[in-house]
Formats: sequence, C-alpha cells, structure tokens
Amino acid sequence: MPSPITSVAVSSPVPPQPEAATETAPPDARAPLSVWLDRSAPAVAFLAVLAAWEGATRLFAIPSFLLPAPSAVVTAALATPLEVWLGHVWATLRVALMGYGLAILVSVPLAVALASSRLLSRTLYPLLVVVQSTPIVAIAPIIVVTLGASDLPRIVITFLITFFPIVVSTVTGLLSTPEELIELSRSLRAGRTREILHIRLPYALPHLFSALKISTTLAVIGAVVAEFVAAERGLGFFILFSTSFFKIPAAFAGLVLLVAISLLLFRLVGLVQKRLVPWSLPKSER
Amino acid sequence: MTPPVIRFDDLGQVFRTEAGRAVTALDRVSFDIGRHEFVAVLGPSGCGKSTLLRLIAGLIAPTRGAVEIYGMRVTEPRDEIGIVFQRPTLLPWFDVLGNVTFPMRHKYGRVTEVERARARDLLALVDLADFADKRIDELSGGMQQRVAIARALLLDPDILLMDEPFSALDALTRDEMSFELLRIWSDRPKTVLFITHSIPEAVLLADRIVVMTPRPGRVREILDVPLPRPRSMATLTDPTFHALADHIRGSLFSRPAAA
Ligand SMILES: Nc1ncnc2c1ncn2[C@@H]1O[C@H](COP(=O)(O)OP(=O)(O)OP(=O)(O)O)[C@@H](O)[C@H]1O
Ligand SMILES: [Mg+2]
Repeated sequence: MPSPITSVAVSSPVPPQPEAATETAPPDARAPLSVWLDRSAPAVAFLAVLAAWEGATRLFAIPSFLLPAPSAVVTAALATPLEVWLGHVWATLRVALMGYGLAILVSVPLAVALASSRLLSRTLYPLLVVVQSTPIVAIAPIIVVTLGASDLPRIVITFLITFFPIVVSTVTGLLSTPEELIELSRSLRAGRTREILHIRLPYALPHLFSALKISTTLAVIGAVVAEFVAAERGLGFFILFSTSFFKIPAAFAGLVLLVAISLLLFRLVGLVQKRLVPWSLPKSER
Repeated sequence: MTPPVIRFDDLGQVFRTEAGRAVTALDRVSFDIGRHEFVAVLGPSGCGKSTLLRLIAGLIAPTRGAVEIYGMRVTEPRDEIGIVFQRPTLLPWFDVLGNVTFPMRHKYGRVTEVERARARDLLALVDLADFADKRIDELSGGMQQRVAIARALLLDPDILLMDEPFSALDALTRDEMSFELLRIWSDRPKTVLFITHSIPEAVLLADRIVVMTPRPGRVREILDVPLPRPRSMATLTDPTFHALADHIRGSLFSRPAAA
C-alpha cells in the first residue's frame, strides 16, 4: 500500500514564491547596518547577555558557587576530559531517545484506539489522566526500586513524562478530520483500516508533530529526573555530583550541554517534519 | 417504462439529539428521479437536504420508508454513486492528480496507469489539465471544487450527488461553475441530484426542481423547468427563467398550504 507520507517526500521542492517575494522586496532600501542587525540580532543579544553576565560577576565579585562567570564555566568544561563528557552525553541521550521512541511507539497506536472506540476512550482516558497527574518525580524512586538498576527504569520514567502530550495531540488530530472525508471513505466502502491509514493519520500529522517537538524537551527532562534518582552516568548525574562538591561551574557546563541536547532534538524533529510532511507546516515555514 | 434510477418511497428521518429530543428532518418524502435527469432540491437551511443525500448514499438508514436505486432498496453505500460536498475537502498531502485518483487508491489500495490517464482526462474535462502536479493550496476555491468534481467522477458513477457544491464560492465563480457543470454533464451524462438554496442556480441547472418545506422537510412542490438545453447566458434573461424563479420565491416564502 503506498503510504501517503512517502509520496509527499518525493513531491516537488518548495514552490518558488517565497524567493520571488524576497527578491521583489527592496533589500537595498535599508542601511547596510540595519540589514546586518536584522540578521544577527539573536546572536548579538546572546553575546550581549554573556558579556553582561561575565561583567557582572567580575564587577560585583560574585563567588563562583553562587553564579559562575561564563569564562569559569568554560574553564570547568575544559577541565573534564572529552571522553568523560561524551560518556555522560551519550548516557543521557540514549535514555532520552529510548524513552521518546517508546512513547511514540505506544502513543500513536493508543491514540488510534482511543479515537476509534468510544468505549475504549471512556475507560482508558481517565486512567491516562491519572497517570499524567501523578508527579513523575515523586514516583521515580519507586520505579527505580521496582525495576532495578539499569537503563530500564530510566527509560520508563522518560516514557511516562513524554507520552501523554503525544497521545492527546494525536487523538485531537485524528478527530479533526473533516466529516466529508469520512463520508467519502464510507461511501467508497474502503474499510476502517484504510480510513485510519489514508485519511485520519495523515490529518493527525500536524498535531502529532507539534507534540513531538514539545516532547523532545520533556524527554531530556525525563532522563535527567531519572538520573537524579539513580545513576552513575549521564549529565543529570554529573550535575548532581558536581553540585554536591560545590563544583558549580562544572554543573553549569553540564547544564549548557543539556540545553544544547534539547535544542538539537527540537530542531531535528522540525527538520524531519519539513522534509517528510511539508504540507503540515504553515506556508511561511516551509 | 423503465424503472426510475432513484425512488423515494414515503421516506422519513427522525434524529435523536444528545439530549434525547426527537428531530424530524424528513417527513413523507416520495418522488422519482429518471435516468440522466438533473434534479435540484431546493429548500431553506435545516430542511433535511443533506440528510436526503446521506440516505441516497447509504451513509445512514431511514427511520421510515425507503430509498431505492434501480429498484433495489439502499442499505449500504453503493458503487454507482459519486459525491461532491459543499467544501471541496481535498487532501493537502497529495497534488491535484493524487486527489483525483484518491478514490481508487482508497478503495483498491493502488492506482493503475490506466486510472491515472483517466484522471488526467477528467482534469482536462474540468479545465485543469495543466494543474495536475500543483499543490492543493496553490488552487483557488473554484479550482478546488473542480478537482472535487473530477474526484467524484473518477470511478464513473451513474449517479452524482452534489450538496451545495458552489455555495462557498463567490458569485462570479459560481455562475461560471454552473455552466461548467452543465458542460460536464452533457459530456458525461449522469443522473444528478443537486442540492442548493439558490433559486437561480436551481432554475438554470435542473430539469426538475423539488421545493422543500422548512422543518420538518416535506416536498412542497415539484416543478418542471421548461427551459431549452443547452443552457447559456441567454437562459438567464429568458422570461420563463424569471417567471419560474419568481414562482419559487413566492412559494418558499408563503405560509405552508393548509392542505
Ligand atoms: N446526525 C444528526 N443528529 C441529530 N440531528 C441531525 C443530524 N443530522 C441532521 N440533523 C438535524 O436534521 C435537520 C436537517 O439537517 P440537514 O443537515 O439535512 O439540513 P440541510 O437542509 O442540509 O441544511 P443546510 O441547508 O443548512 O445544509 C437539522 O435540524 C439538523 O439539526
Ligand atoms: Mg446541508
């Protein structure tokens, strides 16, 4: 069966209008400085914050265990060997990705089941809400005790934090399919499976991708929470460990890496969406 | 005499709302539609026009009476029917050609080269030959509705059901689409049931007009349209056109006859 997604992937590249639009806009009408500023504003703002931060810590002689200067963070980062960093990053990334993957594998079929059956949604939905309402941080230690010391409890904790938004968004997407298309499908007697595969699931993709983007951040949070509870590796563990020895600059370095991982995963999902399902993005973002 | 293509036999439809209230959407509807006849159903909002269409399409079962197609009682959707909805509801992840071939892919799981060629012919028929590879959001509302018509014709249905297909379009596009539809219909004769609440549209298009009463929807009267075919711009200035339109207007806005 030809999947609607693959046939989109091979479809024509982005239509040329956006380029045409920027070409007709008069770029030379503005002063070169303002053009440069427009492009590099985010980077400039970022550097300005760093400079102010560095300046403030020196000017007011803030001790590094309260707020380390960016230069101190860099020094601390360089003090830890690269293989050690990579080991921690990989440990965290592995748990985050496995929990995330598991969440997708469970959530999408679960959403299809919930959207297809009124009975199922009425029985399962309250249960899901209970799970979602439970502070995962609070039950994390219990999960670790139950599942033992391995990646498994960490993956389960990440999964528990990640899956709910994916389920809810996918259900919303599945149910937002125009009634006419469902009637078209039924008038063709195509069957429930094709209705879901050819119409409902593709329609849910924009919703699904929104949730997938949010969930990247949640997955990193989940991995870190799990490492706080029980781990001997990973960035969460590293931060906890550094803090307990008042190595605050090192903890900050770990934090920077966590942020970088979150941003990277977010960006990655965005790129996947742009490549595979460009139609699910607003025209301006394609 | 050959049996009618569609027959409504004392058809009634009562819906139960969520609150448990009974809503009579259609009541005692009986009339026949002949082969290759173009019938317009005209009535105020909520009089059960879309319900009538769903009943013919076999999407819902009547609570009273029956719909028959070729003398057989409709109990489930049948292959002879193509539907055009008020909104074009195309699939944004397919290009125009993919949308026209969608019924084939959806029903049989794959699209053959023959079918693709057929879809191209249909696109030519609806005047979109050069738009086969375009994305849906590159088309105007009128063009999208043409794609929806081509999609409805793909499996070569004997019966075409159209539920206010042009009501979302602006007035100019709407007139253009009416003539377009007449051209398509003379090219590929079909039995057409065309739902509308535009009086001029009904008079311009149809062989017969079924005028409905407000809720509960009953047949108020059935009018023959004696205008010659092919119809054109000139039809719009024909005195018969105006006489008929005025008659329907009077009939729609009068109180229901006590009979
Ligand atoms: N599934 C349903 N459940 C309950 N009531 C319904 C249902 N479908 C239609 N109705 C009711 O039946 C009546 C007729 O609806 P229908 O959609 O057939 O009207 P319509 O003539 O097509 O109106 P419009 O011109 O606005 O499209 C309305 O009062 C509507 O609220
Ligand atoms: Mg309607």
